[in-house]
Amino acid sequence: MLLKIAWRNIWRNKKRSIIIITAVMTGLSAGVFLIAFYNGMIEQRVNTAIQSEISHLQVHHPDFTKDYDINFSLQNGAAILQQVQSNPAVKATTGRIIIKGMIASAAGSSGITINAVIPEQEEAVTHLPGKLISGDYFGAGNKNELLLSQKLLSKLKLKRTKKAILTFQDKDGNITSAAFRIIGIYKTLNTPYDETNVFVKIQDIDSLAGLDSQYNEIAILLHSNKMLKETQSAISLAFPGSTIQPWTEISPEIGLTVSVSEQMVLIFMGIILLALAFGIINTMMMAVLERTREIGMLLALGMDKAKIFRMILMETVLLVAAGCPGGLAIAFIAIAITKRTGISFKKFEEVYASFGYSDVIYPSLDSRQLGLIMLLVVFAAILSALFPALRALRLKPVASMRK
Amino acid sequence: MNNTVIDAHNLTRIYDENTIPVYALNSVHLHITKGEFTAIKGPSGSGKTTLLNMLGGLDEPTEGYVNINGTNITQLKGNKLIDFRLNNIGFVFQSYNLIPVLTAQENIEFIMLLQKRPKAEREQRVTELLKEVGLIEKAGKRPGELSGGQQQRVAVARALAPKPQFILADEPTANLDSVSAGNLLDIMAKLNREEKMTFIFSTHDQRVIDRARRVITLEDGKIVSDTTPAPLVHTNS
Repeated sequence: MLLKIAWRNIWRNKKRSIIIITAVMTGLSAGVFLIAFYNGMIEQRVNTAIQSEISHLQVHHPDFTKDYDINFSLQNGAAILQQVQSNPAVKATTGRIIIKGMIASAAGSSGITINAVIPEQEEAVTHLPGKLISGDYFGAGNKNELLLSQKLLSKLKLKRTKKAILTFQDKDGNITSAAFRIIGIYKTLNTPYDETNVFVKIQDIDSLAGLDSQYNEIAILLHSNKMLKETQSAISLAFPGSTIQPWTEISPEIGLTVSVSEQMVLIFMGIILLALAFGIINTMMMAVLERTREIGMLLALGMDKAKIFRMILMETVLLVAAGCPGGLAIAFIAIAITKRTGISFKKFEEVYASFGYSDVIYPSLDSRQLGLIMLLVVFAAILSALFPALRALRLKPVASMRK
Repeated sequence: MNNTVIDAHNLTRIYDENTIPVYALNSVHLHITKGEFTAIKGPSGSGKTTLLNMLGGLDEPTEGYVNINGTNITQLKGNKLIDFRLNNIGFVFQSYNLIPVLTAQENIEFIMLLQKRPKAEREQRVTELLKEVGLIEKAGKRPGELSGGQQQRVAVARALAPKPQFILADEPTANLDSVSAGNLLDIMAKLNREEKMTFIFSTHDQRVIDRARRVITLEDGKIVSDTTPAPLVHTNS
């Protein structure tokens, strides 16, 4: 009966209730969509980073990442690669030689990371051929081929098919240079990465650097991020002399972005719900003040204060709950549509790319976040109800019935 | 056998105690026995409503106490007092005070729900009471769809629903036309006669005073006259 009274009370002032329900719908749909949009951005950044740049896991010599000295190569790289490939959680893996060096042309030079890769394995791990915007991927018998980005190409005022000079220190500390022909131009979603990374075949660098077929990096792509810790532990256990880092450590700024995303959800929704809460408090306060006489009568008749409190609480929660299905439906429809079509920010492509983000965002929302949002909504509704409900509790039957 | 329902002793209610004290009630002693049909009359401001509020536990006396069936309700506080009212006292207010979002039937049932009475009992009692007040065909109507007289009859049914010790009616006919007031008084007189329900009215209305078997007159917060109980008033209307 209390629920029935609460529900019917909501509709005593239809216009006022519809305004609040509409506000809840709008706030909730906007909040949920905004969170889905933010999620989409983060997910894309993480996926791009994992699938194009750093993979899920990387294996190095414990001292290699301190200053990228090529002397710290993996002594048992081939064995690690072989064992890792047999792990069922691993989708693809590759060995690399990573050297910090310089690229030069007649027009200028630039500091770069030379990624010496095994073409077939690299394709499986980072899909490098798919990122080519012109030219070709590494061919079978050709020597000293080079892939670089359009950005770097422009900076060096070079053209495809021309040669660039790569300079780096070999294993013995000698400066080594070699001319490499530009055979392809690639582009990822991360401009800073593109500006500082070039790709060559591993056998071309191997002899120049004097590494005797030793890798200094093994990149591992997993079937799912959920297998990350388990796989990391397994490899660490098998090769205790090597350092196995997950992507959150390799690229801590991305790891941080992901770890703060939950707090961001709370902050987004908190702000929206706080604004809504004031509207709800105002409405419910008006409802209580208008019904002072009626509440006094209920107290006089024998309705105890706990029930009065519950009735006001129910009215508020019902008012909010009435707006939730509509708000969620609008948000879900908008997410479903934009998840398929994407939201394009083509005009800001450069800005997005400079931070490593795609200019087309595909919103996404997981059920755990939805649960968190719903919890926040319920919390906001209860919080909004407290003030008017406490106001109702302070009423005295006789004084109230005189009003 | 002790038939006392209400024993009010030295009831005093002073407003603005710290500035200029106003005696709304001044040392009122009152004894009500089961089955009385009592009217409390007096000019405006004489203390009728204050006295009724004290008897119903809606207001606290500055001095004195009210004993209902052996319970000193002046000492009851908070939910204990609310529970006592729920189970022992029926109220009929001047402006009906029905719950506007509930139907006539639900308004009556609501009180029994607060008492946690079983569904079957509630339904049976609601039907009985609606028949008693002649509104069975209006059971599904909300207060806004009923006339003033009909609303007041629902209020009487609601007051009777929890089977109280007595009913306090504050100016119950004040907003009613003479036909509706007559009907309402007939119903209450019948309940008094047949079910020995005790009624205490505060009223200005001569029609109520004429039907009462005991008339208490208040002036300036004091009882100035208290008529001897007369034989039951029988009515054919």
